[in-house]
Amino acid sequence: MLHEALWDSCRDLAQACLDHPFVRGLADGTLDPAVFRDYVAQDAFYLRAFVKAYALALARCDEPAAAQAFHELIGGALQEIAMHRDYARTLGLDLDAVRPNAACLAYTDFLLATAWGRSLGEILAAMTPCMRLYAWLGQNLAAYAVPENPYRRWIETYSAPEFDRLAARIESLLDACAADSQEIRDAYRYAMECELRFFSAVMPPSG
Amino acid sequence: MQQLSWSDSELILQAGDLWTEATRSPFLDAAADGTLPEDAFRRWLAQDYLFARGLTGYQAIALAKAPRDAHRVLIGGLVALDHELEWFETHAERRGILLDERPHPVCRAYVDFLMRSAYTQPWPVLAAILFGVEASYLAAWSRLSPSGPYAEFIERWSNEAFVHYVTDLAALARRYQHADAPEAFNQVLVYERDFWRMAWEG
Repeated sequence: MLHEALWDSCRDLAQACLDHPFVRGLADGTLDPAVFRDYVAQDAFYLRAFVKAYALALARCDEPAAAQAFHELIGGALQEIAMHRDYARTLGLDLDAVRPNAACLAYTDFLLATAWGRSLGEILAAMTPCMRLYAWLGQNLAAYAVPENPYRRWIETYSAPEFDRLAARIESLLDACAADSQEIRDAYRYAMECELRFFSAVMPPSG
Repeated sequence: MQQLSWSDSELILQAGDLWTEATRSPFLDAAADGTLPEDAFRRWLAQDYLFARGLTGYQAIALAKAPRDAHRVLIGGLVALDHELEWFETHAERRGILLDERPHPVCRAYVDFLMRSAYTQPWPVLAAILFGVEASYLAAWSRLSPSGPYAEFIERWSNEAFVHYVTDLAALARRYQHADAPEAFNQVLVYERDFWRMAWEG
C-alpha cells in the first residue's frame, strides 16, 4: 500500500518527532506551560489552513463517497479546533490574533499552495503525515496519560481509536487517489519535515 | 505615469531595517570582490533557478487577476523571466551544475508563500509582493560595481531595462494600494534576507 511505503520512508522523521523534547515534555508532564501555550496558538493557526485544504481537496472529487470521507475528516479537524478553543480559554489566548512563526507559516503556505494548485493525490500526500504522525505519537504516549499529567487530554485525543480511524480514512483516500511518484514522495516527506520543524520552532532541540 | 523613483516607495520606507537586511549580504560582497566560494555560487544558482521557476507561476496567476493597465508590465516581466530561465540553464550547463535539485527549505517556503498568496490574495497585494521581489533584487545587485568574475550577474540585475521594470512595478504598487500590502511586502523581505543567508551559509 502506498500509504505504508510513504510512512516507512519517513520513519527517521517520525522517530525524531517522538524523541523531540517537546513531545518528551508532554509525555512526562514537565513541558513548560508557556511553551505549550505557544504551541496551541500556532497549532490553531495551522488547523484553520488544514480545514481549508480539506475543502479544496473535496472540491476536486466527483464521487459522493469521497465527499463523505472529507466531510468526516473536516469534522475531525473542527473538533480539534474546538479543543484548542478550550485550551485557549484556560490559557488566556486570543486565537484570532495569532501571528504564525516561520515554521508554521512555511507549513501552512505549503498546504495551501498545494491545495489550490496541485493534484488531489499531492494534496492528500501533503495532509496525511499530520494525521498519521499525531495518531502514532498519541499511541506511543498512551501509557503516560496518567491523572497527574497536565497534558493528559492532549495524549488522550491523539491516542483515541477515533483519531486512528480518521488517519486510516485519509490514508485510504491517499491510496485510492495517488500513484507512487517523486511528487507524491516529496510532498509527504516535506510535510513530515514541517512537522518536526513545527515542534522545534516552539522548543529548540538544544534548549 | 508618475516619474517618482522606485526607491521612494512607501512600501520600502515602512519596512525600515528589514529593507537593508534583505538587500545586503556577505554573499553579495564576496561576489563583488571576486572571493565568493564556488560551492556558495553553485548553491545560489541552483536555488535561484528554482525560485525563478516558482516566480513564473506566481506571475502568471497575478496576471490573471490584474487589471488591464497592468498587463503590459506583467507580460513583459513574464517574457523577461523566460529569458532569465534560459540564461540560468545555459550557465548551469556550462558550469556542470544540476538544476533538478530538491529546493532548500528557505527556497521552498518562499515559493509556497508566493503561490499561496497568488491564489488567495487580491491584485493590489500581489502587485506589492512582485514589487518587493524585484526591487529588493535590484537594490541588492546594483550596489555592486559590475567587475570581476561575476560581472555578468551583477549587470543582469542592475541594468537599465531592469531599473525600468522595477520603476513600472513601483508605479503599479502605488496606484493599487491595500491595507494588507505592507505585511506581504515585509514577508518578501524576510525571505530575501533568509535566501541570501542560505546561499552564503548553506
